[in-house]
Amino acid sequence: MLLKKFFNVGFEEIVVAERKPFGLGELTRYPLFTKEFLEFLKKIMPPHRHEELVFSIVLTARKPRDATAA
Amino acid sequence: MPYFREEEARAIIQDTYGHVRSDRAAVAEAFYAPEELARLPRGAAELALGVGHPVGHAALQPGEVVLDLGCGAGIDTLLAAFAVGPGGRVIGLDMTPEMAERTQQHAAAADLANVEVREGLIEEIPLSDASVDVVLSNGVLNLSTRKSRALAETMRVLRPGGRVSLSDLILTEALPEDVLKSPAALAG
Repeated sequence: MLLKKFFNVGFEEIVVAERKPFGLGELTRYPLFTKEFLEFLKKIMPPHRHEELVFSIVLTARKPRDATAA
Repeated sequence: MPYFREEEARAIIQDTYGHVRSDRAAVAEAFYAPEELARLPRGAAELALGVGHPVGHAALQPGEVVLDLGCGAGIDTLLAAFAVGPGGRVIGLDMTPEMAERTQQHAAAADLANVEVREGLIEEIPLSDASVDVVLSNGVLNLSTRKSRALAETMRVLRPGGRVSLSDLILTEALPEDVLKSPAALAG
């Protein structure tokens, strides 16, 4: 979906330079999440997703060189 | 299906990020090299809340003008400022006043004169058309309820041939509705 949004806006040379699983272990690093919320996630998410809730990516792209200003 | 109206989402995010505190740099240590972190004020590392290392993939060059969308406490803004040098310029943009203030303070503490911080929305970037060479973003686009608008604004402010380096989270499998409705999940 994200790549499609980049494409639709007109970016070129869209590359996913990095893609890594992001699970409960990664979330414990963030002060944004309480212990209670992490416990809630652990209970509600099936075990097979605990290490891969989402993926973190780095995406690079370029504005066309012949683009005119908006 | 959006579970939060735009204003509601923005309020939750501003409140969360405006009040976040940390005394450890666990996120920064996961994504950045020790030698990078050694150059930064401790506060910039402790409040790094991104999900990757977009500066590492941006190929920044001396003299470039860089925009950091959703700069937070400034870790990527500051690293970009070191990379582009005194002949370049980095603009940190954040909608949360407390975070914008932190980036300003951390830039001053790092003795960086090429950093400018602005408060504003990534969906309404307060910059002229075609005025930046590179746009960075780290764990911010997923917080927007108008991602296409934010990307259109990114396109607008980039010069022709300009680059984006963005780190974010993507779903490959749906999350349960109870998670999607959670303010903590929205802001995190």
